[in-house]
Amino acid sequence: MIGKWRRLVVVLICTAVLPGCWSQNELNDLALVFAIGLDLTEKGEYEMSVQVVNPGNVAGATQRGGGAGGVPYTVISATGDSPMEANLKMSLKLSRILYYGHANLVVIGESLARKGVAHALDALERNSEFRTTSRVVIARGQSAKETLKVLTPIAKVSSNQIQSMLSHSQTLWGHTVEIDVWELFHDIYSTGVNSVVSGINIVGNRADGAKQTNVQSTEPEARLVLDGLGVFKQGKLDYWIPTNGTRGVLWIMNKVRQTNITVAWQGKPEAIGYHIVRTNVSVRPHMKNGKPSIKIRVEALGDILETLVPVNLADADQINRIEKLIEHSIWKELTAAVRNMKERKTDVFGFGEQFERNYPKDWRKLEADWFSVHFPQLDVSVEVNAIIRTAGLRIKPFKRTVELGG
Amino acid sequence: MEQTKINTRQLFILAIMFELGSSAVIPVGTSAMQDVWLVVLIGLVLGMALFLVYYRLSQYYPGDVLTAYTERIVGVWPGRVLAVIYIVYFLYLTARVLRNFGELLLMFAYMETPLIILNAIMMLTVIYAIYKGIEVVARTGELYIIGQALATAAGFALVIMSGIMNLNLLKPVLQAGWGQIWKTAATETTFIPFGEMIVFTMLFPLVNRPERTGRTLLAAMLISGLILAAITTLNVTVLGAETVARSVFPLLDTVRRIEVARFLERFDAFFMIVLIVGGFFKASVYFYAAVEGTVRLFRMRKQHRLVYPLGLLVLIISLATASNFAEHLKEGLQISTMYLHIPLQVVVPIVLLCIAAFRRRKAERKDHSGDKSDS
Repeated sequence: MIGKWRRLVVVLICTAVLPGCWSQNELNDLALVFAIGLDLTEKGEYEMSVQVVNPGNVAGATQRGGGAGGVPYTVISATGDSPMEANLKMSLKLSRILYYGHANLVVIGESLARKGVAHALDALERNSEFRTTSRVVIARGQSAKETLKVLTPIAKVSSNQIQSMLSHSQTLWGHTVEIDVWELFHDIYSTGVNSVVSGINIVGNRADGAKQTNVQSTEPEARLVLDGLGVFKQGKLDYWIPTNGTRGVLWIMNKVRQTNITVAWQGKPEAIGYHIVRTNVSVRPHMKNGKPSIKIRVEALGDILETLVPVNLADADQINRIEKLIEHSIWKELTAAVRNMKERKTDVFGFGEQFERNYPKDWRKLEADWFSVHFPQLDVSVEVNAIIRTAGLRIKPFKRTVELGG
Repeated sequence: MEQTKINTRQLFILAIMFELGSSAVIPVGTSAMQDVWLVVLIGLVLGMALFLVYYRLSQYYPGDVLTAYTERIVGVWPGRVLAVIYIVYFLYLTARVLRNFGELLLMFAYMETPLIILNAIMMLTVIYAIYKGIEVVARTGELYIIGQALATAAGFALVIMSGIMNLNLLKPVLQAGWGQIWKTAATETTFIPFGEMIVFTMLFPLVNRPERTGRTLLAAMLISGLILAAITTLNVTVLGAETVARSVFPLLDTVRRIEVARFLERFDAFFMIVLIVGGFFKASVYFYAAVEGTVRLFRMRKQHRLVYPLGLLVLIISLATASNFAEHLKEGLQISTMYLHIPLQVVVPIVLLCIAAFRRRKAERKDHSGDKSDS
């Protein structure tokens, strides 16, 4: 009998301990945060906004705009002396506990970015609930809060939309960069590199973006558009590279996967469209007599996707000539990018870090005025090798030249 | 005294679990920055040399454990004092392992749970395991090693697949120079985890084929040392040396960076379980050594009665030795190196070996002369 009682006691003790419900939170007490927005108010306080999912309106049969209160998420914000304080103050406005484990996007308002993001990111990096693999964008010309409010078509929650835009745009078009909180934080603290972050802009009627009506039309009043590349200097947003100038920069950073190049042919501008399928860049630092130099080598493999002029793509000589043109076009773009960065004295390519890693002794001499003297005077040579793989399903264009308008 | 036996394979597995148990989790040798792999390998070589000392020493007294043959080497009372010191040392190290994993759980999963609850629950499992006997732990190890090996392989594969490794971060090699490397190796990695193998001298009498013990444990050290070097290299290539040095649990930080195909991500909870299992074996081996040492020292019959008071003691030590984790790490990596590891892992065993060898030679000479007078 005693044995039985003892066993019962053991079982009871186990049931008390094993469920592990010391600090459990029921799912219906949690508010799932999908995106975090960080701003700086005019008073110099942090404003934190979170995009919280409205569960009933995201999944299942509930249709957007059907019935009352159909918005898929709600944006809550609070101000505080630190992001953490703002975060806790949000409990004044919300019936649930904020859960950051599913946050996958951090939007930084331009005002905060200009003042420096390191402090704000520190709180995020320290937190074990928040994942530093979340992507970062900078709200260009508006606050992060405004950005998070804009309702988007297709992806119901705009943070997912922005994230997909970042990832697809980088792989398909190569003008934006997908960077996460961890990378940004570490680039800021690295010595020989400036970090870059893609910007996001609201195009159209900003005031209407937050309303349900925005997604009830086939062409939303307000749209989120990736726009430009913000360059950071010592943790502060320094300037924007406009979208048309970003590819050369990202290419050297080896962030471009696929993209499109058009070259002139027989006096016709933009005549042949070359689509890059794969590209790889190697950056090699060299030290000669204490003088640093960089060799960039670009390999590109792609297809001819469009020709607006008659050109015989069955002819190997022609192909070679086109390849040369493409190589020159890429070369021009990359050297322009390097020149621009040198003028701005921002080493977004991490050339400095290359020297730090490969020539640690020489780097000690270069480090102090790398950005002001050595980087702007750096000897950078670019070498491009482009290969045309196929020309689509047609070898030759139409025999008769069609004169296209313009 | 236990009459149980463990076989060579179980010993091998226990040693691997023990070596990787907590050293894979806490920052080891990070003051060498990106050369941490080198520091681990140097520590491995030095640690294996130390292990040969322990092994040679125990070969003089087959069937006996470290805390018992101290009496036979330096005399009864000095030997017993030394044995008590070693027992306390093992208890303290059990408590350290417990604290490491308690803090790990606290930081990553149970923010609001008091540390004492976490430590107590983990210690209960260790107490229970040792109550059942070390051979139960050894057999459990045979089961768990499969999971651990698969998880380790999966971890490496996932990190490689997610493309977050940057081999450039290992450069420049030897930035701080050989001086720093040797300093780190000689003050950190040699003792943790390799010198810690001294605790296995408490297990030697249990091995069913003693002639294989040395080889088995050296092989286990070599393999776990290589794995540890790989893990630390992985941490550096993913996080960069500065972050590794800043991080409390570098390996989990690395795991948190894994992101494959946008859905194989957020593995930290999963790997935490894997790491905790390793920690369980490490704590169990230490705790067994402490219990076994005490039992032999006081010539007790029923060893499992000691498990509860000593377990409670470990729990209290684990909470009382440091008021926060930074202090705990500092004690572990700096203070205990100076005042515990170097004396107890290096100086005492080498002195004991010298005395033992001297005595043995003297005894042999006496035997020889005895033989001669007989003939």
